[in-house]
Amino acid sequence: MTHQELEDVIPLYAIGTLERAERQAIEAHLLSGCVPCHTALKEYQSVAVMLPFGLNMTAPPRSLKARMMAARSMTVPMEPVDQPAGKPSLEPGEWMNHLFPPETSSRAESFGWTFALVAVALVAGIAYLAWTAYNTKVGEDTVKFTQLQDQLTVDHSKLAAQQQLLNERERTLAETQEELRRQIAAMAELKDQLIQREAELDGVNAQLAQQNTRQRSMPQDELAALLRTPAIKAVALAGTEMSRHASGTLFYDSKAKRVWFYALNLPANSDGTTYQLWAMYEKPTPVGVFQIGTGATSQIFAKPFPAFASAKKFAVSLEPSGGSPEPTGPLYLLSQPLL
Amino acid sequence: MTPGSPHAASTIPPALLARVAKGEQQALSQLYDLSSTLLFSLALRMLGNREEAAELLQEVYLEIWSKVVRYDIGRGTPIAWLITLTRSRAIDRLRMRGTRTQPTTVHTVNGQTTPPLADHNLPPFEAQADQELRTHVSNTLSALPQAQQQAIELAYYEGLSHAEISARLNQPVEAAKTRIKLGMAKLRESLRHNWVQSERP
Repeated sequence: MTHQELEDVIPLYAIGTLERAERQAIEAHLLSGCVPCHTALKEYQSVAVMLPFGLNMTAPPRSLKARMMAARSMTVPMEPVDQPAGKPSLEPGEWMNHLFPPETSSRAESFGWTFALVAVALVAGIAYLAWTAYNTKVGEDTVKFTQLQDQLTVDHSKLAAQQQLLNERERTLAETQEELRRQIAAMAELKDQLIQREAELDGVNAQLAQQNTRQRSMPQDELAALLRTPAIKAVALAGTEMSRHASGTLFYDSKAKRVWFYALNLPANSDGTTYQLWAMYEKPTPVGVFQIGTGATSQIFAKPFPAFASAKKFAVSLEPSGGSPEPTGPLYLLSQPLL
Repeated sequence: MTPGSPHAASTIPPALLARVAKGEQQALSQLYDLSSTLLFSLALRMLGNREEAAELLQEVYLEIWSKVVRYDIGRGTPIAWLITLTRSRAIDRLRMRGTRTQPTTVHTVNGQTTPPLADHNLPPFEAQADQELRTHVSNTLSALPQAQQQAIELAYYEGLSHAEISARLNQPVEAAKTRIKLGMAKLRESLRHNWVQSERP
């Protein structure tokens, strides 16, 4: 077997696919000190140990480290046990043991080493002959054929990859279209819901308006009924210099002992203030508070009021929000003294 | 290990093995942290069984502990030694099974595999040097024709001889051998700068 033939199978040796006889032939050749084969083998072995870096990485179980450390503490460092029977696995750099024997080997080990070398050389010689007989013809045509076949495989792979890419894009397009359809359907549903909500809102607004009308009309209805009562008494209030165009009317239902007050054309009270109606006895007594909103011209409210007869006059002043125990702000409406 | 860590599995310093040889527990712990994900992934790929891979890894680290005094930098980098040892022991196990059942793995387009019981936790294999090497090796492998990839994987991860590979792939022996040779030659050319870099002091 020539150097070229041996060099040719070094990749197979490095990756560990050779049978025993073939391995031994290579090892014998390496023992001869062939530098190119030595270099090639070193590089192919470097390739082999890089292959696991291409794997998908998986972390070991978390408990393994603790188990290993615990087992290690019970283990006394020692020489490795014998290999199992059968084809022995390739130790790291095993072939290099022959090229670079350990410097610290003892005399007995050196003797054993020499013996092993001779034995290996003998076995390798026999294997070499066997190898030569076995590989008389390594057909170049086979190599070319395989290369062509591989090239064809590459082309097929590329075509398949393109086809796959196309399929992928078609699938993505279909998915996008489906998604678009879903979105349109969802939007239509949302629109329906919106229309429904708007209808509900209109209904609620209508009810609210009806309630407001009812609320507003109730005191007016009551007032209308009140005005038809014979026991009603009325007091007119005129605007002061603060509000010359304003006026107020106070009705007293002596039967229900309840006072009604109607204010007209008072200016809107600002935030933090309120109008307050006072009954003037020896000193002013608060009757009730009311608001005039922006744009409003009138206000009406009713309050229980038992002591109308002894009141000397009525007045409306502007007070801080919530009202005051006695008038503190300017008067806006004032009645004539009652007889 | 964090990405900012000074060492990766691919760049384990020989000095760390020297410290392990002196019996430093911390050094062994550090060696484990740096290399266990890679070695476990290798064992899992070869044996196809998570429990057996863990058992193998424990044996490998104990063997490292007992054999580390014999490590010689002239034989290769520390990680090369660890990978070779792990692979050898995994092949021993495959042979002891008697029948070489093909690991139940899922082959992906680029020839990489995903073990069925893959741990989906992020493995501590995040060092930049490892990630770059991983990308480079994956890309280089996936650039090979599928037949070459397949033959190399059967040889490397299942420990099959070229005769067994040719039987498995239903091809002539010479064709199987040629595919391995061509694939390995391409890998050698493509990955050459990696070991040139790693051999720099």
